[in-house]
Amino acid sequence: MSMIAQEKLPVSATRRPAHRQRAAVGINANNNAAAFLFLSPWILGMVCLTLGPILASFYLSLTSYDMFTAPQWIGLDNYVKMAFEDSRYYQSLKVTFTYVFLSVPLKLAFALGIAMLLNRGLRGLGFYRSVFYLPSLLGGSVAVAIMWRQVFSYDGIINQILLKFGIDGPSWITSTDYALYTLVALAVWQFGSPMVIFLAGLKQIPQDIYDAAEVDGAGSVRKFVSITLPLLTPIIFFNFVMQIIGAFQAFTPAYIISGGKGGPADATLFYTLYLYEQAFTNFQMGYASAMAWVLVGIIGLATAISFLSARYWVHYGDER
Amino acid sequence: MSVHLNRRALLRHGATMMGGAALSSLPLASSFAQDKVRVRFAGYVESQEQLTQTLAVLKLYTQKHPNVEIIPEFTNFGAFTDKIATETAGGNAPDMFSVNVDLLAEYARRGVTTPLDSYIPNPINLSDYLQSAVNAAKFDGKQFAIPNDAIGPAIITNASAFEKAGITLPPEMWTWEELAETASAFNKALGPRFWGVEDAGGNYIPCDIFLRSRGKSMFTQDHRLGFAPEDMEAWYAYWQKLRETRGTPPGDVQALAGNDDPSTSGIVAGRAAMNITLTDSFAGFQALTQDNLILHMMPNGFRGGEMKQRHYCYAGNSTTVSAKSPNQKHVIDIIRFMHFDPEGAKTYYVGSGMIPCSKAGRDAFAATGSEADRKIIAYLDVLQKEPAPPRYPGVPGMTGMLTRANEGVAFGKLTPKQAAEQFIREVSARLKK
Repeated sequence: MSMIAQEKLPVSATRRPAHRQRAAVGINANNNAAAFLFLSPWILGMVCLTLGPILASFYLSLTSYDMFTAPQWIGLDNYVKMAFEDSRYYQSLKVTFTYVFLSVPLKLAFALGIAMLLNRGLRGLGFYRSVFYLPSLLGGSVAVAIMWRQVFSYDGIINQILLKFGIDGPSWITSTDYALYTLVALAVWQFGSPMVIFLAGLKQIPQDIYDAAEVDGAGSVRKFVSITLPLLTPIIFFNFVMQIIGAFQAFTPAYIISGGKGGPADATLFYTLYLYEQAFTNFQMGYASAMAWVLVGIIGLATAISFLSARYWVHYGDER
Repeated sequence: MSVHLNRRALLRHGATMMGGAALSSLPLASSFAQDKVRVRFAGYVESQEQLTQTLAVLKLYTQKHPNVEIIPEFTNFGAFTDKIATETAGGNAPDMFSVNVDLLAEYARRGVTTPLDSYIPNPINLSDYLQSAVNAAKFDGKQFAIPNDAIGPAIITNASAFEKAGITLPPEMWTWEELAETASAFNKALGPRFWGVEDAGGNYIPCDIFLRSRGKSMFTQDHRLGFAPEDMEAWYAYWQKLRETRGTPPGDVQALAGNDDPSTSGIVAGRAAMNITLTDSFAGFQALTQDNLILHMMPNGFRGGEMKQRHYCYAGNSTTVSAKSPNQKHVIDIIRFMHFDPEGAKTYYVGSGMIPCSKAGRDAFAATGSEADRKIIAYLDVLQKEPAPPRYPGVPGMTGMLTRANEGVAFGKLTPKQAAEQFIREVSARLKK
């Protein structure tokens, strides 16, 4: 019915200007309805599938919930237990922070280095770019984690090469001293996506600036420190924030490499891995939910600190 | 302009009508399907062969009973425990599902599963089943599950390695001290990268047998801890000493063997002569090595102490029934078919790698099964000559808790005493819940 009414409106509007406005409102409302219609899959998904569980998990974090019997309200007990009684929780924090602090800067440095190599007007750049991006596509997968396990195991490739030099290497992935660092190496190896972004950023820096600097006698180090790095800081910042958020949530590699246990002796007990264990092995959904909310807080805080620090080291072109 | 709107309106109406038609057809389809009984059967399997045979017997059942539709939901053990916990929490438990001894206790005491005593002995007659397996499937005196297979703890022993090293395997009734001495001799005989026995400090069943050798047990019948802290300390100290005498590999080498996967085990990788495990993985180990593997008992006591057969047999896989299932009668009939119908039982067991829990089934297997099957049955028969008290249900996650503490000792982060305290703290918290 409303369709028919709308259809008539423009005709009458030619005679009475007051109606023209109403018609415009009608079309606007119509456009809004269309917009909501097209947005509805996302809105429905967000409200029903994401927002609901998010809010539910906050409620559950204040309960003792074993998944079988109804949740029992215990107030802040889960958070208190996390802070004061759970030594494995602190181990998981230590492992995760070590991982974040090592893997993010190393990965960004590696990505920037490769991006600069590729930015030197290589022939077949597209090919190299794809090849270097490949590990990132595969990186999160189970297959690569299993391959990593093989490469770094006691009789893996690394140790076979070391043996040729007379070194009897340890079992990297199953030693408490090295296991976490093999996971850091795996993360660094997946440098593809920040590299592609760096490469795009490098291409944005005008050649004139380099030329002018060269005329003034600047060497390559000076050009890098005084031109490339400052002009690239917005890109570095973006990559930094994205990588921090991703690194805190790392799960798959540790899960596969340690067989889901965070071993040996909790050496690779990532935060998310411990959360998963609490939820699905120990059936402590309330505690796991509380852990999830603390992780959200940690990531939020890390992101906020990054943004606050940005004003001191990120240079946007329009600041002068 | 008006034509444009018109077309759009038409399209929109058309789309609504088509959507409506699609929706209205849904109840039709489901009311049509209601003539059939739908039974969801979730479970875990140890091998591809077991999965194939399980699906085959279920298909056979539905061919004979066209009014029943079985929806099989099978996976490996690790994925299964998560899946069943989530589904049960969501009020979406399958009609029937697999459990091991610990899951059985977990689900029975929470009222998720139902006692099956009213179906015994008719139509489910367990009289010639291994009594220890039947007892292990009880909780609170009630039969909560029907055992599908028979397994027992054992040392999978590489007889070829013993021969090569010139070391004699002591008889079945041996002591924990003898195991340590035998294991430590290998490193001297076969070189620095070969160890006598794989580290079982993180392994639940051998720990239970060790505690029983001390007159204790991991759990009691009434679901409590059955040992004192110093017993657990002795367990971790035993393995620490074996590491020092190079009878068992150092922590980083041992950690390579993960997740009960035979292919990563030391015995298959050629760095160990003995692996303490369960009989149901024997065929899997033997398939991966040319060496001659045999089954041998764990030690049954300490030097100067009482020597007694302490290896209980039980089921690695039992079937339990959801308390809320509206199809319990059908579920029981499916279990009956898998266990007692001659054609059904043959399809379910032959080629599956499982050893039947019934005497009749085992006798049939002893005549027709593979060489590995026959070795397992002969070993289980030895254990049955002097049956041990049954395994008592504990809590899920035992391996994780034991392994963490054991690795703590192996990597020098905990003393055996601290490891025992850590383990007791964690397992006690789990028992209270």
